[in-house]
Amino acid sequence: MWSAPQEMRKIGLYMVDADAQQAALALARMAVLHPLEEPGGEALPENPAAPYHEVYHDLNSRFGKISGFIRKPLEAPAESTRLVTLDRLQELDQQLKALWAQISALEEQIRRQNERIAAIRQLANSLQKFTSLDLDLGRLRRQGRFLRIAVGTIPAENFNQLRSALSLTKFLIKTFYSSEGINHVVLFGPSQHREEVQDLLQSADFRGLVVPEEFTGSPTQLQADLDLRSREAEAHLRNLQQELYDLIDANMATLQSARDALLLAQPYASLGTVLKGRGGLVYLQGWVPAQREDEIRQQLVGHLEYPFQLEFSKPGQQEFDRVPSLLKKSRLLRPFQGLVKNFGMPGYREVDPSGLFALSYLLMFGMMFGDIGHGAVIALASLLFVRSYPGVTIVGVLAGMSSLFFGFVYGSLFGYEHVVPALWMSPMHDPVQVLLLAVFWGAGFIVIANLLAIRNFYAAGQFEQAYFSGKGLAGLLFYLAAFYAAYQVAANGRFGWLEALVMAAPMTVIVGFQWRRSSGGLVERILVVFIEGLEHVISNVSGTLSFLRVAAFSLNHIALAAAVFAIAGMLGSFGHGVTVVLGNIFIIVLEGAIVAIQCLRLEYYEGFSRFFNGKGRAFEPLKFET
Amino acid sequence: MSGFSSVYLDTRLTVLARRLFSFEQLIDFIELDLERILAQVREHTGYDYTVDNSNPRLIEGQLTNHALDEFRILIRPFSGSERRFLQFAIRWFELVNLKVLIRGKFNAIDSDLIEEQLIDLRRFADLPIKQLLETDDPYEMLRLLETTVYGGIVRPARRMYEEHGNDLFLLDATIDRSFFIDLHYHARFLDSEDAENVGRVLGGLLDRFNLLWLLRYRFSYGLSPARSFYLLTKTGNRLHSAQLLRLARLDSVEEVVVALPREYRELLANVAGISDMETVMEYYSLSLAARALHRLPNLLSRTFSYIVLREAEVRFLQALIKGKQLGFENDLIRQAVGARA
Repeated sequence: MWSAPQEMRKIGLYMVDADAQQAALALARMAVLHPLEEPGGEALPENPAAPYHEVYHDLNSRFGKISGFIRKPLEAPAESTRLVTLDRLQELDQQLKALWAQISALEEQIRRQNERIAAIRQLANSLQKFTSLDLDLGRLRRQGRFLRIAVGTIPAENFNQLRSALSLTKFLIKTFYSSEGINHVVLFGPSQHREEVQDLLQSADFRGLVVPEEFTGSPTQLQADLDLRSREAEAHLRNLQQELYDLIDANMATLQSARDALLLAQPYASLGTVLKGRGGLVYLQGWVPAQREDEIRQQLVGHLEYPFQLEFSKPGQQEFDRVPSLLKKSRLLRPFQGLVKNFGMPGYREVDPSGLFALSYLLMFGMMFGDIGHGAVIALASLLFVRSYPGVTIVGVLAGMSSLFFGFVYGSLFGYEHVVPALWMSPMHDPVQVLLLAVFWGAGFIVIANLLAIRNFYAAGQFEQAYFSGKGLAGLLFYLAAFYAAYQVAANGRFGWLEALVMAAPMTVIVGFQWRRSSGGLVERILVVFIEGLEHVISNVSGTLSFLRVAAFSLNHIALAAAVFAIAGMLGSFGHGVTVVLGNIFIIVLEGAIVAIQCLRLEYYEGFSRFFNGKGRAFEPLKFET
Repeated sequence: MSGFSSVYLDTRLTVLARRLFSFEQLIDFIELDLERILAQVREHTGYDYTVDNSNPRLIEGQLTNHALDEFRILIRPFSGSERRFLQFAIRWFELVNLKVLIRGKFNAIDSDLIEEQLIDLRRFADLPIKQLLETDDPYEMLRLLETTVYGGIVRPARRMYEEHGNDLFLLDATIDRSFFIDLHYHARFLDSEDAENVGRVLGGLLDRFNLLWLLRYRFSYGLSPARSFYLLTKTGNRLHSAQLLRLARLDSVEEVVVALPREYRELLANVAGISDMETVMEYYSLSLAARALHRLPNLLSRTFSYIVLREAEVRFLQALIKGKQLGFENDLIRQAVGARA
């Protein structure tokens, strides 16, 4: 039902430098080592893997940039024991650096070519607007001795500043068309300022219309010329792109070698800051699952060439915060473990609540959304995601089956309450009983959460917390006493000295414990202890009442179905059918989603927050990146 | 903004404004050693700074990040166009990193050295620093930068680089020009009262940069009047378009100074050299911001003024502390922070 993360051992491996890469490969193949970075101090001042890490990082970065251009799939490396030397990495890095320089240059040419094509298109667009201008285009080519005319485009945001600046050169500029942030302009002025204006126009990102030598004055001819230039520019762009792909294809062998080398070098490179050493001796430490001690020893004996020293030690209590948590693997529980990790990672000595979470989540979902038809639809629809999101399928099928089971319990089929006989009863028949049941369910849930909290405190060596705190044994006893007292008041109308005593005793322990832990002035301590005590009482009451929603949603489910049938009843037979179908879809999608979220909320806030701080570190083993 | 938020912001601004150092206090710091400077900073502001000689940039990052944390708190009560305006104004800090990256790559400086000069802006950072540092040539970096929020600022810088090569002033000025055009654009969406109040502070900044750039383009780089004018940014408080056009036509720094509006003419009358003029204009524009912070009731304008003043203070302290860490003479530090003018 629940378990703690796997037992771990601290590993310390002393070896000679020459064996370090082989050791990294062996450990990565087993995926058993969570490396531990600790300062080596004066005894181990060197980081022998640092240069390797640096070159690996450069090569990886370059390969990452180039890989976006690779069109053919790369093959997986045939072996995982081959060592990649630092020299080999450097050699590949230089090759990729040279290749990237060529690619980058081509990319830059492609960028400029794209800009050129955009400019030609803008000019072609300009030309189409010339019909509204009374201007002889031939003048653009025949620049006179005294008058210079230019037509072109500039970004709209540059226009006003350019117009003002041009006034200093006695040039005039006029926009004859404006679109998409581009002004299509004509400008003219004295030829003597031509060079000055040329510099200015360049700063303003002006793209001028060039009139060919053979131009006779017809805009059609100019249009044809622009079309030709556009086609040539596009052809050139395609050539550049092809050149780029050819360059990649011609270097596929190098890229394949680089990718293989990166895969094989990654484990050792990732130890760049972890591996400590001195004078040819290196030290590696980390955490490994206890059950794999023997396998690790055998693999290292099999693969390391020189003698080595291997130590395994049990983590001390003071190290628990730093030990990574490796949750037990289970295909069925994996999606639920994902939801648990959403809240936080269980600490090394904490309970992994995934099993309990899965069971209670599914039960609550079924209770709140009990319907044979709706459950079957959810289960079947979840199968659609079996390939893309297997986790969704597992949760969906199980939730659907739970819903289906409670559908039989309630005798509900697509909202019809009288088609299938109820194994128990429909929630509508006795809502008070259903609400009471939900309160008992909540109380049971909170008691279990409290027991888990006690267990977690105990496992972490926090014995005082386990016995005397509000989340510990005293808190549990207070909760049970309060529940008993509430039951006596509700059932017998009695709150006597026994009830007062059983509640006061554990509360006194809780308050005393808080008093001991509090600090500050007398008034401040009284205030803190009073508020914390009050908060403890309120959170227990509100937490228990929070579970009323389990009953509320089961009632709501029937009420929604009744509303659908009421609307359908007002329509003809076709309308009735359509309304019932659409209404059921609405209930499955909307209410199903709400119930799923409400269940998660109950788990997180009324369950996890009581026993689980979620500050654990995930076990992240050294392994081959694929 | 709700009444409660206004009172909250007003109180915050008043408290923070008291923590700003006066120009005289900052100048006095030059005579002190680093430990005493930091002790006085701690006493006045409550901030404790760590000196780490192995990482001189650490303290610069701390100075910037404390300021950014304050801005985050100040901006929180604003919404809509006011918030967008202030958020854009804060980008000024990231422009420092942008310039370091561009200069570094254009000068083929090693990525590790460039990284050392960058300030860690944490959650305020929009630039993909890691990827930018991994670029192999300036054009690759520019292509990457053009895909970021700074694309509009980088494109003119590329043109300037292609035209004039790696000239620090021209590149910096081009980047700053684009920034101010965009800041001015954001200011257009403020309501009229905010726009008017913010305009007084922003106008002072624009005048300062326009005058400096005009002098540099015309007389240091010998650009034509038209081009020099074109490369200026939006117009500010006193130097309007027609006035700048007139100034651009003049043939010497002295003629320009004489032709300036009376207030600026008097300020610069006895100042020799464009660098010292730059400093005088900077402190003048900061005095406008200080006046707005302490005297104007408009909260947006006061917040913007605080950002402007705090940025200048951070820049001053960074230069001062760096100078002290490197063991520079006080005279050299005075020159670096512009305290001689």
